[in-house]
Amino acid sequence: MPGLFPRRSNLFGTVVVAASLGAVGFASIGLGAVVVGETRRVDLGQKAAPGIDSIKSQYKRPATIPFPKENPYTPEKAALGKKLYFDTRLSVSMAQSCASCHSPGFGWGDGLAVGVGHGMAKLGRHSPTIVNAAWGAIFMWDGRLATLEEQALGPIEAAGEMNMPLDKLMDRLASINEYKPLFAAAFPGEGMNAKTLAKAIATYERTVVSERAPFDAWIEGNEKAISEEAKRGFAVFNGKAMCSACHEGWNFTNDGFQDIGLPSKDIGRGEFVPGVVKMQHAFKTPGLREIERRSPYMHDGSLDTLEAVVEHYDHGGIDRPSRSDLMKPLGLSAQEKADLVAFMKTLTSNLSPTAVPVIPR
Amino acid sequence: MHKTITFALVILTGLSAGALAANQMVYQKGRVFSSESVSIKKGDALTFVNDDSIPHNLMSATKGSEFNLGSQAPGTSTDVTFKEAGDIQVICAIHPRMKMMVKVTD
Repeated sequence: MPGLFPRRSNLFGTVVVAASLGAVGFASIGLGAVVVGETRRVDLGQKAAPGIDSIKSQYKRPATIPFPKENPYTPEKAALGKKLYFDTRLSVSMAQSCASCHSPGFGWGDGLAVGVGHGMAKLGRHSPTIVNAAWGAIFMWDGRLATLEEQALGPIEAAGEMNMPLDKLMDRLASINEYKPLFAAAFPGEGMNAKTLAKAIATYERTVVSERAPFDAWIEGNEKAISEEAKRGFAVFNGKAMCSACHEGWNFTNDGFQDIGLPSKDIGRGEFVPGVVKMQHAFKTPGLREIERRSPYMHDGSLDTLEAVVEHYDHGGIDRPSRSDLMKPLGLSAQEKADLVAFMKTLTSNLSPTAVPVIPR
Repeated sequence: MHKTITFALVILTGLSAGALAANQMVYQKGRVFSSESVSIKKGDALTFVNDDSIPHNLMSATKGSEFNLGSQAPGTSTDVTFKEAGDIQVICAIHPRMKMMVKVTD
């Protein structure tokens, strides 16, 4: 992934001169392969604001879970993946599993400000939930991994997290008799290797989906499913507060990267896109399902409550070149802030308990 | 008259009049490129229009054809001229689902 983007950006370096052609517009010349002209205003015409029914139609739950054609769902894979997900022997210390930081008890996070890795050392960022990961376009707070299969292996190998080299892990799993038939059933003819391990864990993770919440019942037409306060909050969310510019759709994210002006030295996505100003301090927009169960909030776990999160957005955060153009003081009233929080709480489902699997020995 | 001015400018500057030609347009409404793939001739320009409701940040990391439009506000357009043949992937740095290919031919 780091190779995808130039470490030292010459993104504008090849663009040499932009020659103005007056009112007609601009043409550009340059010695590079790509020449960027001036940006002009265009008339998009007046658009009527969408009505509430049109907005609500954008939040309908999908009927099925998407599985990639490279790794289609099978019950055997998901069952194996669940055992691996809860198996602490995936870490070098044999004390941490995927579920240690992404626990069903905490909305598939860990309830901590920042995660805890190998040797109980604090990590730099908040452990993200895995709820609805099946719909993810890109993974990790900084987007450094492209697929859920890659993501599944990342924390296992990371020295600061589970610190387990994959070849050593596969040797360890091969010595556990009860794993062999499970891999054979899930991956006939493919055997036990890092690739099948990743496929199994990713398949299980894709089955972790937020269940129906009061919000879903309201979207489907039950006007009594949520309070009037929450309905007003939904209007603020999609209107004055512009939350839906990033937290859009049924899972409340477009997986975009934004600097929302938090006072953190962590440059996030900027590490992988060094020449792009707006990617400095930018982090992936998290979905909001089960958000009430997922405190503390933000990539650094710096805000304890949903009320504090709303205050941050109302303030607009630190004004710096990288800050998203969507971040600005909102001027929300106390009522609007309370309505927004009431709305977000309607995204909490009655998550059924997750049974911890019997681990192979 | 218009053509005469264009012609004169091209002669005078010895450059392509990218913005004056009828460029192919690429739109971004709804966080989706209007085309997954566009073919153009070497030296021609594409006009990237942000007809969406939020800013985008188009760029390419394709070796030799890197560019970055920076934050492109809704209601603005930018011409990008491609001077070398090849397949150039254009993405939005902000929105990872937005990807398209510009096929530049000789």
